[in-house]
Amino acid sequence: MRATRPARNRRRNLAVAVLAGAAAVVPGLSPAAANEVPERVMSLNVCTDQLAMLLAAPGQLISVSELAADPGLSFHHARAAGFAKNRGLAEEVFLERPDLIVTGTYSLHNTTTLLTRLGFRVEAFDYGQTLGTVAPEIRRMGRLLGRSAAAESLATEFESSLAMVERSLCGAAPTAIAYDQNGIAMGSGTLVDSAMQAAGLRNIAAELGFAGMAPFPLELLVQHRPQIIVLSEPLADTPSLADQIAGHPAIRALGQSSTRITLPRGSASCGGPFIIEAIKALRAARETLVPCPPLPGPSG
Amino acid sequence: MNTLRLNAGLSAAVIVLLALSLLVGPARFGPLDSLRALIAGGDEATIIIMREIRLPRALLGVLIGFSLGASGAVLQGFLRNPLAEPGIIGVSATASLGAVIVFYSGMAGASILALPAGALAGALVAVLILMAIAARHGSTLTLILSGVALSSLAGALTSLALNLSPNPFASYEIIFWLLGSLKDRSMVHVWIALPLMLAGWAMLFASARALDALTLGEESASSLGIGMGRTRLMVVGGVALCVGAATAVAGAIGFVGLVVPHLVRPLTDRMPGSLILPAGLGGAALLLAADVACRVAIPARELNVGVLTALIGAPFFLWLVARARREAF
Repeated sequence: MRATRPARNRRRNLAVAVLAGAAAVVPGLSPAAANEVPERVMSLNVCTDQLAMLLAAPGQLISVSELAADPGLSFHHARAAGFAKNRGLAEEVFLERPDLIVTGTYSLHNTTTLLTRLGFRVEAFDYGQTLGTVAPEIRRMGRLLGRSAAAESLATEFESSLAMVERSLCGAAPTAIAYDQNGIAMGSGTLVDSAMQAAGLRNIAAELGFAGMAPFPLELLVQHRPQIIVLSEPLADTPSLADQIAGHPAIRALGQSSTRITLPRGSASCGGPFIIEAIKALRAARETLVPCPPLPGPSG
Repeated sequence: MNTLRLNAGLSAAVIVLLALSLLVGPARFGPLDSLRALIAGGDEATIIIMREIRLPRALLGVLIGFSLGASGAVLQGFLRNPLAEPGIIGVSATASLGAVIVFYSGMAGASILALPAGALAGALVAVLILMAIAARHGSTLTLILSGVALSSLAGALTSLALNLSPNPFASYEIIFWLLGSLKDRSMVHVWIALPLMLAGWAMLFASARALDALTLGEESASSLGIGMGRTRLMVVGGVALCVGAATAVAGAIGFVGLVVPHLVRPLTDRMPGSLILPAGLGGAALLLAADVACRVAIPARELNVGVLTALIGAPFFLWLVARARREAF
């Protein structure tokens, strides 16, 4: 015991020295930092990744999360090829020392807390997204990156595309359900629910009282026979039991009475401007059931 | 109670529970509408629900319950070990591992038809290892401890294989493979399990006379013309087929094969051969009842049926261990 004490002291001194050194190199959060345009931005979440990739100035965004390149989750996965990837680890952030970190409130909660305590500037975007949050979040990302003009035009373009889809609707709304892996339905309050409403569809999961992402019994799906069933594609090339539900004989037995569609990959996993592609796909499926006259508009 | 009356009673229980399983579900139909849709016809949605969702689930409850109950009875008789059971000695867990490796590696595409091959191979390896251990050390405890080790190893490797899968859903499916479920099965699952189980049952029943003779000891049994080699083949093959097929379609459902033989044994002549059929019927009744219970208990968040059988079976196992110790010392 006695022999090890000096060694232990030495180790403690070393640890103190390391911590002191670390404190010296961390960029402290000065009051001015929040107003300056950040030069080095890191994104740790697939949703903030895509907004940042759309809005950042060249060289401003130093890395995005690995999921940004996943075609199943990220609509702009092709753009991600031009960026370094991170795994959302506090160590990686620490080594890069960005001026600003953008991430989601849901993901990596511990990492966010740790980074904030270390003095980094972390801006968290809310996980609970609906169509109503898309434009405000584009504008917020624009303000954070000092790219308000680019953000304003992107947000305005999104709002006008959305308004155009809503203007094009006619007739009674068909029933629909978004039936994901493992028989999870998108209930009220979800992004897909709000996309269905915008596309002029009645979400039977929400109407039956299911809120959020909720297990939806296959029996109820067959019983209520929604006219449109939005199935999801497998997220990876390797199989999982979760993906089997889309091929269940009971769903196939519904035959022609239900139109089965999939949304463009990655278009509905985040509340970004690309959700308009999901809405257009839903709108196109509605058109086959309830045709509407084309809009007389300037867009052509 | 004579065996015929016992089997008739258990068969009646299975039929009642089968009907109950067909009538319970989130789509609330009247019992008459349900049965009419199942047999004759009627509203198309009701027909699809009855024939494509509820029927396969109920049938799998019967088939898997029977397979596990009968396997448990045969293992207990052959190993002369009251604690032997496919789940406890690691056969189910190893079958899960085999199925997981074949399915998630994608070597058979996304088809579930390859699942039984992997599960069967896993179950077979486990039974062979355990038989080798049991042949060398006769003690009850050695076999159970080896089974526990095999179970843990197979469970860990199953988790590893699922975590290595690039599919983000795979790691959540650990619970299915370790604590099975009958949720949203289809007739495809029935058709891939049924032939294997029928072959397994035939092999288990073929070992009945030998199991009875073995109660007199191996030497007396061989003087009665019982070949140990053939008996071992029937037991190994029968258990591997039954547990492999059951695990391939419903994951590892434990303790059915432990609890049921002990419950029905006092009602039989206590010969292991005549225990196989009532243990199978009792297993079917228990699994059907458990599967109905987990649908009714928390309708919004359905329990895995393996959770329920473990909740019943694990305390029972502890009680058996305590009783066995009291008798031994």
